[in-house]
Amino acid sequence: MKTRVIILMILGGFASHISMAQEVDVSGFVRTYEGVNIETGDFSIIQQTLNLNFEKRGEKVAFKANPMMYMYNSDSLSFNMREIYMDMYFENFDLRLGKQQIVWGKADGVFITDIISPLNLSEFLLPDFDEIRTGVIAAKLDYYVGNGTIEAIVIPQFTPITRPDENSIWYIQPDFPAPATFDWSKSTINPSLENTEIFLKYSAITSKIDFDLMGGYTWDDNPAMHVEKEFDMSSGNPVLTGLNITPQHHRLTIAGGSFSTEIKGLILRGEAAYYDGKYFQTEDPMAVDALIQKNYINYVFGLDFSIGGVKMSGQFIQKYILDYNDFMTENETLNTATFLARYDMLRETLHLELFSYIGLTDYDALIRPKITYDFDDSFSILLGGNVFVGDEVGQFGQYSDNTMIYAKVKYNF
Amino acid sequence: MKTLKTLIVAALIVVAGFSANAQLTGTEIVEKAYNRETGDDQTSLLTMTLTNKQGKQRVRKISQFTKDFGDVEKSIMFFQSPADVKNTSFMSWSYDSDKNDDQWIYLPALKKTKRISSDSKSDYFMGSDFTYDDLGDRKLEADTHKLLREETVDGKDCFVVESVSNDEDYMYSKTITWIIKDSFIGYQKEFYDEDEDLLKVLSIKKYEEMSGIFVITNSEMKNVQKDHTTSMVLSDVEINTGVSASKFSERMMTRGM
Repeated sequence: MKTRVIILMILGGFASHISMAQEVDVSGFVRTYEGVNIETGDFSIIQQTLNLNFEKRGEKVAFKANPMMYMYNSDSLSFNMREIYMDMYFENFDLRLGKQQIVWGKADGVFITDIISPLNLSEFLLPDFDEIRTGVIAAKLDYYVGNGTIEAIVIPQFTPITRPDENSIWYIQPDFPAPATFDWSKSTINPSLENTEIFLKYSAITSKIDFDLMGGYTWDDNPAMHVEKEFDMSSGNPVLTGLNITPQHHRLTIAGGSFSTEIKGLILRGEAAYYDGKYFQTEDPMAVDALIQKNYINYVFGLDFSIGGVKMSGQFIQKYILDYNDFMTENETLNTATFLARYDMLRETLHLELFSYIGLTDYDALIRPKITYDFDDSFSILLGGNVFVGDEVGQFGQYSDNTMIYAKVKYNF
Repeated sequence: MKTLKTLIVAALIVVAGFSANAQLTGTEIVEKAYNRETGDDQTSLLTMTLTNKQGKQRVRKISQFTKDFGDVEKSIMFFQSPADVKNTSFMSWSYDSDKNDDQWIYLPALKKTKRISSDSKSDYFMGSDFTYDDLGDRKLEADTHKLLREETVDGKDCFVVESVSNDEDYMYSKTITWIIKDSFIGYQKEFYDEDEDLLKVLSIKKYEEMSGIFVITNSEMKNVQKDHTTSMVLSDVEINTGVSASKFSERMMTRGM
């Protein structure tokens, strides 16, 4: 606790000192966020947040540091340096070095070519999209040719998806047919040249269409679960008595692209990627470690439009496993849709929004209505709900006990 | 004798000028106003103050750059304040042809440049009393223009032109513009809603001549039905400084000024 107080004091003092001495721009927000489970009446989240942005921009160089502190309940403080990087600007290219969040693709709220900064799913998909990504330590080079940009990214240290811990309401206990023992010794990737992740993208904005083409040689953010089964043969027939599970990340090669264009006032967006060599769980008794390697595609089409001042957006997303076989535990296709409607009132001080993920395969959904009122330019209050619909089979329905209402009060500076 | 000749010549010029203007149709007057020289490029800081009927004010500051590329005019805006929109940028490419404008917005929180529809021109810009259409370059042929009369406002001789949209679904039933005769600056404009009731009045508070070009540096839009106003003040105006073409790119949207 003493260490946390010292960190806060140092940051506070540092902020004012740097700001005055170097004319560093300091901005950020303070936010309180409380949510109540509507079934139990328990507070499902009590969170206080301090977000600080230190930025200095020059003609040739710039830097940004974005420390962020979350305090859960009354005493659990989590410190996160969300980004800290330097920019160097040259005639035809820019270089960014350090921990950074990188966002690719044209889809909203789905992650198809947007796979560089891994997700923090410790609160499922509920955090704002700017807070759900984890920064990666990377060197990013942007080379400019006309209206186009060639972007090359090298990530020396792999960062996996952050999962909810076992005490979290977002943790789903796996259902095993026998007692399971986990061996986490192979779940980390040592930073080395051999283990580096590489991404390349060409993007362009033109008067007719914006598009990008990307490729990546990366690690699967989700570890494959290598399963060794233990049997008791004493009765003559094999009886499953235990599972030794070794989570292990594997290489994944990805190629894809995205586009957006305007057609008669509508914005049409699309994004697709081909994933080569992903390990899927299988019940095939002949499979080694209960895994099978398959390729799959993931794509989205979306439309943005406006009716009577209401801005709307719809997306259809499909994940399709190629060369599927019936032993695989995952479905061959997973269809999902998203829908967004937003209306601004009272000179853009009152905002009504409805965002939904709709599972078309398992008939489940996450429905997220919210209303925000800006008391002034720096101070706002948000009231919202996260409604989970469906049964435990679906990716959203599995959280049907976690439906909540919440309030956020935020001060920007 | 020389003085007399000079006076006659001067008088003739005035009369010729007057008669030339007197023969102008509503369309020709608006065309001259639309085609008024604005320079090859322009840089400025826009301070927009929104005042509601209780007198409470909200202030937005935006750095903006425009450049004329011949058949396309490109502009880019960098939002400086308030804090929640800081570092947001907006880019627009506006074409001389019938093609719709191309528009993009960069949202720093999402780290994403998004193409947005230019079809929502009736939306209000940042909660102000200006719609995107009010701020953009409206095409001459989008309306039918009629010269109503000539009159003097604040000591300025003006043409008064009524413009009715050729699109039945347009947000205004008509606009009436007072255009100064000698400079073709739109000095005042009234906007009428779909019921033909007066909705808004745009007034020019100040314009200045810079590098031989008239620049409106202070204007105010008043919504007479809701009794709120938006003032727009331009400062740090620079004209024809050779703003780089590369300023109007995704690179600059994400990087900032």
